[in-house]
Amino acid sequence: MIFLVATIALGGTTACKSKKKLAAEQAAAAFEAKVTKAKKDLNAIINGTSDMTLDEQRKRVAQIKGYNINDPEIDKLISMAEKELDFQQAESDRKAEEERLRKEEEARRRAAQSEYAVIDNKFRDIAESKSMDAANAQIGLTLNQFASPDVPVLIIISQSGGMNDYDRPTTAEKFLNYLKDVKAYKYTVETVKRDSLGKITEIELLKK
Amino acid sequence: MKNIAYILIMVIGFGTTSLFSQDDLSPERKQAIDSLALEKVRDLSKYVSIIGNKETQWSEANRVIDRAEELFMQGSEIGVSSLVRTEINYYDIRNYFERLMRLNYNKVEIEWYNIEYVSDLQRQPDGTYVGVITIFQKFKGYDKEGRLVYQDTTKKDITVYVKRKETQIGGRLIGFWDVLLGDIRVKETTM
Repeated sequence: MIFLVATIALGGTTACKSKKKLAAEQAAAAFEAKVTKAKKDLNAIINGTSDMTLDEQRKRVAQIKGYNINDPEIDKLISMAEKELDFQQAESDRKAEEERLRKEEEARRRAAQSEYAVIDNKFRDIAESKSMDAANAQIGLTLNQFASPDVPVLIIISQSGGMNDYDRPTTAEKFLNYLKDVKAYKYTVETVKRDSLGKITEIELLKK
Repeated sequence: MKNIAYILIMVIGFGTTSLFSQDDLSPERKQAIDSLALEKVRDLSKYVSIIGNKETQWSEANRVIDRAEELFMQGSEIGVSSLVRTEINYYDIRNYFERLMRLNYNKVEIEWYNIEYVSDLQRQPDGTYVGVITIFQKFKGYDKEGRLVYQDTTKKDITVYVKRKETQIGGRLIGFWDVLLGDIRVKETTM
């Protein structure tokens, strides 16, 4: 009877120790898995192969930091990942700024094109006038848009290597009469300079 | 000594070649100035037609003569021929256009066609490009009754000069190609 009780008591103690050991082993394995996963995620962030968004990556690094894993390799990876994220943030900010500027430029270009289209149409109207009197009337109206009849009109005949080749510069009045004489408008407005009153002080045309 | 002289000649020679090659135009730019010169001749054909047209107001004709005159080099001449005489008369530009404006017909039609290069623009040592453009001019003169009383077709050669120049506009230095027409020579006159 005593032997039986002793055997059961001894057996119970051994089983309890095995459970603790198992729990400890499981905890160690879980910790190891957490460290392995942390290293994997940090390396993915450092190498730029992570599927997470920049924000998610930052949260993940903060989470790993919060584990307080006392491991020099993990500490080094965290530092590298933070640097990488700072770099990516700067890149992202730069790209966003570039995109903003591009959109601004596009909006400016569209506004200018629409403004230039109005001028192109006025010039075309002169060239396509049905009579000399009609053309002269159009010339009078169009000249009002210029600061003076002597405003320079520059005609680009070719553009290559960032360099413009021009025809001999002319004046607004001569150019408008030229359109009337040759009855053709073969240009597009490239740039326009205006004074404080909104009058054209210089115009550049591109020969088509 | 001979070797040093030879080396010097080679160095100077290569230097000069390099300097000249900087002035070489890309095919695109050359094409642009070729077209520009042709365009000036086409402009002149329009001016000739306007000035010769009896319906053109005197003030307009004079304005166009001013524009036409600006196309030419100073001292250039234009040849005038006729089927009724053998000699060709040459007039200075202003005189030619003023005579054209006063031609003794009730109605005048002048048309230029087949405007093309007979000699491509070639770069001269001073940097000027010189070429020759040929045109055919169809002239028709009508009397008061609207009858065609004279007509001829004349082939004419126009020398063109294109030179790179610079000017300041709005504080900017603008490089431009100045196309100037030279003499217009009569080559052939037929019915």
